[in-house]
Amino acid sequence: MDYRIENLYKSYGQLEVLGGLSMELEQGRVSVLLGPSGCGKTTLLNILSGLDKDYHGSIGQLAGMRSSYVFQEDRLLPWRSAVENVAMVLHEHAEKAQALVLAQKALALVGLSDSASLKPSAMSGGMKRRVALARAFAYPSDMLLLDEPFSSLDIKTRISVMDLFLSLREDDGRTAIVVTHDVREAIYLADRIFTLSDKPAVLKSCTNVSLGRQERAYASATAASLEAQLYQLLLE
Amino acid sequence: MDVHANRPIARSGYAILSAAVLFAVWKLFSVATASDIILPPPEKVARVFFGLFAESRFLTALGATCVRGLWAFGLSMLIGGITGFASGASRRINALLGPALLVIRATPVLAIILLALIWFPSGTVPVFSAVIMAFPVVMADVAQGIGSADPKLVQMARLFGMNQTSIAMRVRLPSALPHIVAAAKSALGLSWKVVIAGEVLSQPQYALGTGMQSARVMLETTEVFAWAAAGIVLCALSDAAFALLARRFSWTTV
Repeated sequence: MDYRIENLYKSYGQLEVLGGLSMELEQGRVSVLLGPSGCGKTTLLNILSGLDKDYHGSIGQLAGMRSSYVFQEDRLLPWRSAVENVAMVLHEHAEKAQALVLAQKALALVGLSDSASLKPSAMSGGMKRRVALARAFAYPSDMLLLDEPFSSLDIKTRISVMDLFLSLREDDGRTAIVVTHDVREAIYLADRIFTLSDKPAVLKSCTNVSLGRQERAYASATAASLEAQLYQLLLE
Repeated sequence: MDVHANRPIARSGYAILSAAVLFAVWKLFSVATASDIILPPPEKVARVFFGLFAESRFLTALGATCVRGLWAFGLSMLIGGITGFASGASRRINALLGPALLVIRATPVLAIILLALIWFPSGTVPVFSAVIMAFPVVMADVAQGIGSADPKLVQMARLFGMNQTSIAMRVRLPSALPHIVAAAKSALGLSWKVVIAGEVLSQPQYALGTGMQSARVMLETTEVFAWAAAGIVLCALSDAAFALLARRFSWTTV
């Protein structure tokens, strides 16, 4: 089943950010929104998350769905440990003790069982990103929204955290919407790539990606041709 | 910039040097004036200061001043905390309280003590005056702290479905804690000073300020210094305690 977004318009004063955006996001798959910086991708995520309700058009079934967010920054509370940061978003859904158990399990999934008591200041960038992923997956939501979540990481950490995200999401099955301006990242993560134009954003193209993990990672001929095609679209 | 000045050992070395220079200058002037009534030498003040601890009138006065100081501090934190929290959370309340705060902060401490002398019994005057002087400081710091919560963390909490109360308790209040510790440090330091000033004028039966004033009337300058030293020690001790606390809550810089 697909989630339909139809004729979405959004302006900040005179500045039109979304100019009648329509798309169909696949349920239970990873959709990547690819577009130049500042084209309105984050605005779209804010609308989908319910943070921004001032828009025209329809987001269909996505309206009112509960979402987990992974931000460009880690957004961890500096005075809380890793496990407390994850448990914090569960307090409205579980007893305190149970929230801590669930948080501990989520940290185990991202390979941070032994670092649960560390505060963010004692963690590396990659570890903090894993905690942010654990928090998003632990939160009982209908979809995952990721706003350029890996852009601040070095290439080696980025690939390992992206792999972790993909495997967690595959096991979990939640719908994921990832925003990025990085073509390679889009190819690496996506089941479907939506290329957006510059402001006001409209859909330029929708590409289904059916490459295997290895092909994506080692830039096979098909991946390279897709990459060239996406660059062409972005530069048009 | 001298990077060595930041090392703890270097810092304590500078502190000892600074104290030594201060005492040397004091000693020099006391020798120059050659009069204990005008400026007694530091060693004599020290002798009298330690001698005071054997006197029950001093210990009672010290205890009474401590109780007044802690009352003033507690009330300042309570009133300043509540008004500061409200002021930080709401622009309207901030605008409403702003002018009153400005008037209070601009009023000379002596004017407040003199008015308090008309309104209250002598034991209450120092506490009232100190609260009036210290609570605006607490209020301003707490308001700043509440307003200083990282908007990105607040947005994260909202996106993860936390309600306003939860956000206030789990994000805004901890964000404000370093500011609250700073506010408490200023409030306690100010409380000691204003309480002792209030005691000098209101003359409660047991008080450091009363002891200081009695010594002044008797022209016992050495004793005035010794009683004053007790106030300085109270301030220094509370400063040290809050420095330790500030380190505990140092996740954000104030």
